[in-house]
Amino acid sequence: MRRLRSRLALVLLCAAYTASLFWVFTRSEPVIRTREVTIYFAHWQIERGPPDGINAAIKRYEELNPRVRVVQLQIPGATIYPQWMRSNLAGETGPDLMEWGAWLPGQKDIPARYFTPLTSELAKPNPYNRGTSQEKIPWLDTFHDKLLAPKRDSPDPGQIYAVNITECTLRLFCNVELMKEILGRVVVPRNFDDLRQILAVVKEYSRKTGRPIAGLAGSRDTTRAVAESVLVAPLMGVNQRLDDAGFLYLYNRQMLAAYLAGRWRYSEPAVLAGLQLVRETTMSMKPGFIQLRRDDAMIEFLRGQALFFFYGTWDATSLRRLAPFKIQPMKLIQAMPDDPEVGRFVVGQGGEGIGETALSMYLNKASRHPAEALDFLKFLTSVPGQQLFTDASLWLPAVNGVSIPEEIRNFRDYQEGLSFGQAPYDALGTEVSMNWDRNFYYLTGDNGSAEKFAAAMDAAMPAAMRTDLNAELRATLVLVKPQDPVIVGWAGLPGERARIRREESEASQTMSEGLALQMELQLEAMK
Amino acid sequence: MRGLSVYPARKFLPLLILGPLLAAGAAASADPDRAWTALADNRPQDVLRQLRPDAPSRADRLAWAAARIGAQPATDGNMREAEAVLVELEQGTDELAAEAAYLRARIYQLHLNEPDFAKAAQLYAGLAQRQPGSHWAQLGLVKLGLLKLYLLPDVSGPGADRLAAAEVLLARIQEPLLRRDLNLQIGQAGIALNQPQARFLPHLIAAEQAGGVTGNAQEDLIVQIGVLSERGGDWARAREYFEKYLAAYPLNVRAYAIRRKLAEVNHRLAQEGRP
Repeated sequence: MRRLRSRLALVLLCAAYTASLFWVFTRSEPVIRTREVTIYFAHWQIERGPPDGINAAIKRYEELNPRVRVVQLQIPGATIYPQWMRSNLAGETGPDLMEWGAWLPGQKDIPARYFTPLTSELAKPNPYNRGTSQEKIPWLDTFHDKLLAPKRDSPDPGQIYAVNITECTLRLFCNVELMKEILGRVVVPRNFDDLRQILAVVKEYSRKTGRPIAGLAGSRDTTRAVAESVLVAPLMGVNQRLDDAGFLYLYNRQMLAAYLAGRWRYSEPAVLAGLQLVRETTMSMKPGFIQLRRDDAMIEFLRGQALFFFYGTWDATSLRRLAPFKIQPMKLIQAMPDDPEVGRFVVGQGGEGIGETALSMYLNKASRHPAEALDFLKFLTSVPGQQLFTDASLWLPAVNGVSIPEEIRNFRDYQEGLSFGQAPYDALGTEVSMNWDRNFYYLTGDNGSAEKFAAAMDAAMPAAMRTDLNAELRATLVLVKPQDPVIVGWAGLPGERARIRREESEASQTMSEGLALQMELQLEAMK
Repeated sequence: MRGLSVYPARKFLPLLILGPLLAAGAAASADPDRAWTALADNRPQDVLRQLRPDAPSRADRLAWAAARIGAQPATDGNMREAEAVLVELEQGTDELAAEAAYLRARIYQLHLNEPDFAKAAQLYAGLAQRQPGSHWAQLGLVKLGLLKLYLLPDVSGPGADRLAAAEVLLARIQEPLLRRDLNLQIGQAGIALNQPQARFLPHLIAAEQAGGVTGNAQEDLIVQIGVLSERGGDWARAREYFEKYLAAYPLNVRAYAIRRKLAEVNHRLAQEGRP
């Protein structure tokens, strides 16, 4: 009996083994389906909205491309992302696609070192736009602003390194119920003086009722946004004066060099007027705001402790989903020539241009799957990909031809007027930016003044501006030097594509070299 | 188990191990573009792993030298090693010799810790003398132009014409794209060096007319020519470039200001009877 059992067991074992072999060789599939290629997409937009939008696009992309899997990595931005990005890029373990921003402190060299230019790809139509209004249009021209920021932030004037996923602008988000309670009705400010009056009424209302209500929700981050907006109008004349090149635009390197050459100062009247506007607006924030971050300001607003929250439309989805009250986005109109305080410095209506696309995504040079990563980027920035992104995130699309949901349509209602591109007087470089924050207490509070702040800035600036211009120079040289072997490489390869790449590389290297020599000249002249 | 002897497997073991390696090696040598591709992809270390400075092929030796220049650490010692190979390669009259001579000049201009601009200029000039029609000699003239504009001016002092030396080189460049690049550099240097507008604006116009400027540089260039023409009182030229800008970038942030300027120059032209 025992022997029979052993034999039965052996027979069963053999049968099971044979059946397994049959299964394995004829119809087996992996227990967990895997795809051949995995690409990683990293960004810091962890607000409500974008992760949903990107997931919607990924889902559709994976349906269209069964061999590719896309993994979205959401890395907290303010403090973690820069270190995380730097260490992964240095170790060649970085994701295939990464977000980067020119304002990240100490990260200016990243595109030149680690990212691949997309210029030649951008000259061709995006294949995912077939059958849409953007079919046959070069990829670059499908973007609403033709990639203003990636062009401006490129370390190399002849190359574009990124494509953008969304479009943002700054808006004054208003707590409608609170405004009705304080003002009796909804008042949309038509100019800066209107806003000034509203903020004064809020202050008085808070004093009378004893309720802690601020005009503007306060934080270091939102203050920067306020400053960059209100400084534009009074400083337009200074910008025009400094524009030797005739670009109607000032790059950071030009502002830094002009400061070193003694051509502008924080303590000159027009800049002081702009600083006075910054002081006025920040005086309607609660005390101690400079120690707080964006999230703190948002909480203050959501608790009904501030009438306005001034920041980017990138926060609109979070605000809508989290606020227990109705929110109305309004424009912060810049001071006009008839402004009673600073009008004499204002040369015309300040404008917002056409908004600016943002959330810049870069292709990692060390990507193991550059073709697939680029292909996903094309899908995400195609009309169908952007429609999915916009509908799920309620963030504006970056490309033309996308139907914009009703809730966010007025974000594209831009103020037309003069604009001078970047020239953010608070953030010309890492050192300038740090000094702005460090000295900001001179500008605010009962003991602060525009004059005290300007004096502190002008005392620190010669060294800070010099350091920042040197950083610009280093970032340019990082790009120039490796181009020599790259050009030799393209020259050695046959074919039309290689010839075009060589010519592009030669042209952009010469342009960057020229810029580097100009910066060296400026630094040398100021020794 | 002895019947299932492992001896045959043991016998072929070296072949089993070496076979794939040999096959891989054979595949590698069959692809002559591998080193160029690695250089073009900015992977000089891969080239240094593949090639040796004494490789039999001149092209391989050139690729090795280019990779040595690009690889980290970029020490002067490494540059000298690359230069030794390039000196040998430039002894010829073909395009490869010209390429080697060009790269050698680049070492002196850009890659040494203490650049030697005078030596680089001398090498560019020598190359242009020996092989004037070579692409690398022509590219070298563009770089020599940059040196003349910023670092090795023939003249100095306030009021000196800092552009003339580079303009002389321009006349020797036959390749249209390289002429365009030097025109653009002379134009931009004219602004940086505070030269009279009449001296540098024609160079910017020539660069724009040559076409093919990429990235933000093209947009900047069109605005720049329009604005500088307006400042110089050349209303017709300003109108031409403002219209060109608005046709190409109707929605850009600068379009509002350009529209205002266009209206102004049209008004001026109308006043002068040239609507």
